[in-house]
Amino acid sequence: MHSKCVRWPISKITPSILSESITNDAGAVTSRDAFLRGVRELMPAWPGIFAWGLVTGVAMVKSGLSVTEATVLSLMAYAGSAQLAALPLMATFAPLWLVTLTAVTVNLRFVVYSVLTRKHFAHLGVQQRLWLGYLVGDIMFARFTAMVEREPDYPHRVQYYFGGAIANWVLWQISSLIGIFAATTIPTAWGLELAGTLTLVALLVPLCASRPVLAGVLVASVVSVLAHDIPMRLGLLLAIAFGVLAAFAVERARGES
Amino acid sequence: MTEPYVWWAILGITFATFLSRSSLHVLGHRLQVPHTLESALRYAPACALAAILVPDLVFVGGHLDLSFGNPRWLAGIVSAGIFAANRSMIASISGGMAVFWLLRAVHGG
Repeated sequence: MHSKCVRWPISKITPSILSESITNDAGAVTSRDAFLRGVRELMPAWPGIFAWGLVTGVAMVKSGLSVTEATVLSLMAYAGSAQLAALPLMATFAPLWLVTLTAVTVNLRFVVYSVLTRKHFAHLGVQQRLWLGYLVGDIMFARFTAMVEREPDYPHRVQYYFGGAIANWVLWQISSLIGIFAATTIPTAWGLELAGTLTLVALLVPLCASRPVLAGVLVASVVSVLAHDIPMRLGLLLAIAFGVLAAFAVERARGES
Repeated sequence: MTEPYVWWAILGITFATFLSRSSLHVLGHRLQVPHTLESALRYAPACALAAILVPDLVFVGGHLDLSFGNPRWLAGIVSAGIFAANRSMIASISGGMAVFWLLRAVHGG
């Protein structure tokens, strides 16, 4: 590691996040190492993120949004599945409260995620917590929780998370913009969105290393299929709830801690 | 779509993003979560991933299809197998997509 190679611009974006960690005694790992590690550990997922962003960009334009509207929606909301869920509602001029409520319910799993990540960010300022929460995605969340479980003493976990989350945001926005501008030339028949789903498969496989997790995954899968037709993707929440209950029951039954 | 409606909807979706992702973070330590709940929620990431991806693989056009005529779930299984074997995400995604496109070509769809 050369300490003088590149001045990373992250110090300009979030000076206080960075300085907070410098005052911590971090041993050999600097906050920049942690940031770069976050970026590096997200990168294997790039084909999936890219395909997903592309498909979302195309879908926004094909359902009637102008290039400007689609671009602003993507940059501000940064919520692939919520954007996709809102599009058919917007196309029929559904009431604004329904559009908003649908986006909230599709995003509700992030409330569960934030229960788990909260304690790692709680010492930061409100504004930083706001942005770190905004930047959460399924992929970086899975990576982050796995890392924290593996290395509970890793010093710069906020920077690690931030690095991966920013990389995800940039990749997503680039692919989404390409989708928006090339909407007419990318056929939806390619089935590119499957690449996004397959990324989640690769994230899930290494998590299935214990009986409780396997039980939870099995129950969540079955419930997600049974509850598929419940509106506003509330079936997703039901599936998570039943899956967590099943995993916890198995854990208790086996006396694992 | 008329302009003002779309802009209000975009604002609504953005508000929804912040509300769901950041509200607990903003509350921070002021919100107490029971220890048992927090410990049970350790299983939420895996359950959430399964609950997002399984319907994507087994539903085709709104109908449950677990036949060999649906290349999506077969691609998912191949993808999982490749990842379990060599821990490479790129190999797993591209292998799954290759199977998907191949099967689709075979079925003529």
